[in-house]
Amino acid sequence: MTESTETFKDVPCTFCGCLCDDIDVQVEEGRIVKITNGCAISKERFLGHMENRCPWPSVKGEKVSLQEAIERVVEIIASSKRLLIYGLSSTENDAQREAYKLAELAHAVVDNTTSVCHGPTILGAQESGKAGASLAEVRHRSDLVLYWGANPAAAHPRHIPRYVRQPGEYIQDPKEERKIWLVDIRATTTSRMVDRFIRIEPGTDLDVLLTLRALIRGHTLDASEVGCVSISELEEMATAMKSAKYGVLFFGLGLTQTRGRHRNVDAAIRLIQDLNAYTKWTMMPMRGHYNVSGAHKTSTWVTGYPYAVDFARGYPRFQPGEYTAVDMLARGEADALLNIASDPVAHFPRAAVAHLMRIPVINIDPKINMTSTAAEVNIPAAIAGIECDGAATRMDGLPLYLKKIVEPPEGVIPDRDILRMIHDSLQKVMKK
Amino acid sequence: MSGGSVRVLLTSGRTLGQGRAMEKGKMTDDYQKAVAVCELDTASMESLGIKNGDPITIQTEHGQTVVWAKHNKNLEPGVAFVPAGPYFNLLLGSYTQSTGMPGFKSLSASITSTPDASILSLVDLSASYKEVRE
Amino acid sequence: MTAQLVLKNGVVFDPANGIDGEVMDICVSDGKIVEKVSGKAKVIDLKHCAVMPGGVDPHSHILGSKLGIARLISPESNRHHPYPATRNTRSGVAGIIPSSFATGYLYSAMGYTTVIEPALPAVKALGAWEEIDDIPGLDIGLLPMFGNSMITYRYIQDDDISGLAAYIAWTMKKVGGMGVKVVNPGGTYAWAYGGNVCGLQDPVPQWDVTPRKIMTSLAEAVAALGLPHPLHLHPNNLGRPGNVETTMQQLDALKRAKIKGKDRRAVHLAHMSFDCLGVVEDGMAKWKDVASGGLTFAEYYNKNKHFTVDLGQITFGASMTMTGDGPFQYSLYLMSGGKAKWSNIPVDVELPGGAGIVPFTFEPKSPANSVQWAGPLEFALSVKDVWRLVMSTDHPNGGPFLKYPLVISWLMSRKQRDIWLEMVHKNARERSTLPEIEREYTLNEIAITTRAAPAKILGLEKTKGHLGVGADADITVYGFNPEKTELAKRPDLILKYFTQAKLTFKGGQQISKKGIVGKQIPSRVLSVHPELNDDLSARIDMELEEMMDKWFSHSFSNYPVPMRYRQHLEIPKVIDSTAIRA
Repeated sequence: MTESTETFKDVPCTFCGCLCDDIDVQVEEGRIVKITNGCAISKERFLGHMENRCPWPSVKGEKVSLQEAIERVVEIIASSKRLLIYGLSSTENDAQREAYKLAELAHAVVDNTTSVCHGPTILGAQESGKAGASLAEVRHRSDLVLYWGANPAAAHPRHIPRYVRQPGEYIQDPKEERKIWLVDIRATTTSRMVDRFIRIEPGTDLDVLLTLRALIRGHTLDASEVGCVSISELEEMATAMKSAKYGVLFFGLGLTQTRGRHRNVDAAIRLIQDLNAYTKWTMMPMRGHYNVSGAHKTSTWVTGYPYAVDFARGYPRFQPGEYTAVDMLARGEADALLNIASDPVAHFPRAAVAHLMRIPVINIDPKINMTSTAAEVNIPAAIAGIECDGAATRMDGLPLYLKKIVEPPEGVIPDRDILRMIHDSLQKVMKK
Repeated sequence: MSGGSVRVLLTSGRTLGQGRAMEKGKMTDDYQKAVAVCELDTASMESLGIKNGDPITIQTEHGQTVVWAKHNKNLEPGVAFVPAGPYFNLLLGSYTQSTGMPGFKSLSASITSTPDASILSLVDLSASYKEVRE
Repeated sequence: MTAQLVLKNGVVFDPANGIDGEVMDICVSDGKIVEKVSGKAKVIDLKHCAVMPGGVDPHSHILGSKLGIARLISPESNRHHPYPATRNTRSGVAGIIPSSFATGYLYSAMGYTTVIEPALPAVKALGAWEEIDDIPGLDIGLLPMFGNSMITYRYIQDDDISGLAAYIAWTMKKVGGMGVKVVNPGGTYAWAYGGNVCGLQDPVPQWDVTPRKIMTSLAEAVAALGLPHPLHLHPNNLGRPGNVETTMQQLDALKRAKIKGKDRRAVHLAHMSFDCLGVVEDGMAKWKDVASGGLTFAEYYNKNKHFTVDLGQITFGASMTMTGDGPFQYSLYLMSGGKAKWSNIPVDVELPGGAGIVPFTFEPKSPANSVQWAGPLEFALSVKDVWRLVMSTDHPNGGPFLKYPLVISWLMSRKQRDIWLEMVHKNARERSTLPEIEREYTLNEIAITTRAAPAKILGLEKTKGHLGVGADADITVYGFNPEKTELAKRPDLILKYFTQAKLTFKGGQQISKKGIVGKQIPSRVLSVHPELNDDLSARIDMELEEMMDKWFSHSFSNYPVPMRYRQHLEIPKVIDSTAIRA
């Protein structure tokens, strides 16, 4: 490598569901030295990509070769009865597809982080459908943007600056002609950025959504307040929503993770559908990890189902609550875990983690994470969008090609190749 | 006035600091500092007689955790916030209503000032699971 | 690499080469049909089984984001249809909207080898290519949509056919498309603010264009480019009783525009069943007055030869409606009283307003659905020139492709039609002439309408839809002897033999036998690459960058589908469009 400086333009960032693809990355002698346009988290992701890496494959903490690690992985899988494959949202589509292929061979369950992110959104859509949105259309047309149970300033930092507070073809002044509201249970940085903040009582999202739906349909309600919001304020909101020319609801985990789960989203879906009788409204889930949308998308075309898929019978079956990772672990049903590109030890409830600690765990990740400490086998992977290419899906369904900017560390290969090697080795073992 | 406890509705979620620390690395000081905190409103802080950075113990029906208090003057009394992560999850049950999704946003908790308690390191937190018999 | 093969003693139906039930041998070498082969060739004695070219489906929604959303929101449509893995094949689900691997296998089992995805949002093409990697055994074509694109409107407003043609050419090359699709021109665009556009001359909001202008301009651009497949049209007013009149007006507009396409065809009209609904005499444009428009449209078809058609036949039972016609899909939701699961998917710049999805069930006892069923059959059985007509169900809108054998049975067997006329609501008998029609499609005509005609209409007639020398060795062997089987009298046998081909060959490789796929081969993508002259090329690169920078919310440089996803799949056909002035 010479002392060359190379600038890669229009690189998609692989952090959150915004998948901003206007990042310019400057590379010097094979190292990323500067990025332009990304948010603070994006900067950390690119500039800090070499920090805290899983340095080499290991079994029980001992360094081994990749081949040896894979042999141990195959032993674990072959001797398990109920393998759970989980994660997949922070890696690219090809890796996800390899995971389904492996799950089919191993008659395993394969679930992705959708189950603890917008799984309830999908369940709500399975009840009622969904009038979706697209980011450019929001920029061009929306005059009322409603965030509900989301905190983009924390989780999607450029969502408002890059996608919403921008002029569009039919909205020239995004400050005056576009109003941004936030409904949440607490004040946040986002609530200080928007034009109007409506605080509701925790656990009352369903009540408030149904109330709005009733008010929009012209019903009078025998209540003075709902969710600690006065009826008169809710009536005023309903009127404003009906009078908007193009409204969009961006909703987050505040709807999916609270009391009511998918029923909250179902209510929001029906509200948006109802509003379409009066004016134009669409909705979009704020997908967290950069490729969780890709995970449910690839799972759906390959298996027919978006997450919580079981191959025990040699064909895909779908059942949240049964084949979702938290449930499979909390119930003690999984007797081995293959975790790819996620961190269940950090993000799962205690009973699920407690069981995880009792079973053999295989962890494939670029960095050392909390699950690494629990895993019997750790295999380092290349970071998609920085050290290997691939494809991912933005929160509004736009697929984007992820670029390879620099070489991965010595001996580190992409997830998809690791999974392929596991599959092929397992196949050989199973033939015997 | 110090002592006693406050009851709160505890929620969790993302923060910018937690996001950056996740990207840096999960087993780092940055990450621990980002997620082993509980944001409390002014009234609760006064009621507990604590200041920013004091250790507090949060207790729910599923478990307990010790974190640093963080004063958030914009919070309504009665709502507390712990960033998504392993400290919060020690408090969380696994009931998903058969949806796969635990109740990350709606935990009933009580908070006590425990000035002598120490916050588990990430390594110790992980190790403590191996001792749990559930 | 492919072995040499001789299929001996088949009863061959190859209408493109004038062969109608002749006993003959077919020689295959290296994936192609050849004159003769060496003595070392593998020989299969077909023992007088019927042989046709592999099926060609010009309009079937088998991939992409709207299909993905449909599968996502309707797990119930697939739960009871498991598709287990075998040693050589992947598992999946096989309901009305099968998963990707199952889609490929199921088509192979039926004897189909070429399928066209008729509505692709070009900006999302990367996802389509990835999905194609998981659909085995087919040659696939993609039709990007242009009829509601802001960029299209910019060029049409400026009367700039060169620019429009260049935009189309650029898109074909960047995403590997094969033709131009137009869906409810202007109407879906208006849907972005909740409206629709129904009249040919009605203005499209915010733009100085009309549906008529959009259609004729795009047809002109397609002709100027020399694309092998004409404009593929989903007209305005889809699904409205009485729309046979407006569809004919729309086709007239194209006739008057004198578009000089290949074979003087200006347009391919998709799924006529949804486009050609009549009303009873003195009736209103309401569902209670719906009548078959099939005869009316057949008369128009027989007189006006500038277009081709596919049926979009209704098959009854569960179906999934999914089209780029946002307002139409919303109207279905309203018809259900707001109970249906309605989804909408806008696409940046290219399909504002967006595609819609609504699960739907066609009921035999429904007064309206029974008429919708009768109409396209009445049409197909009343036309003179089967070469312009393709059998389809607009999968999965009119019904799943798995029901093609049922449609074939209705075309071939009066007895079958009589059985069904008894079962369905009487409106089918009273509001169409179907009960009186005696015509039965011959096997030759079936071979035309499911193979030879679609291949020709798609511009693939050199290698597809026929069994002459030079064709791809895509061959279907059916398990019956046409000399000894009276299919018309035994519609149950039509269903039996057409549901599972005895043997299906793709590129000379045997991939399925009696409905079991024993070999998984990757699909290929047939695309066109129109070459522009340097000036026009430079102009379009500059103008598209400017427009896309302004209108998209992602980077222009990330629009094209990278070769890494295409090179192992794509078979591009280069066409010379350099005559178009910059």
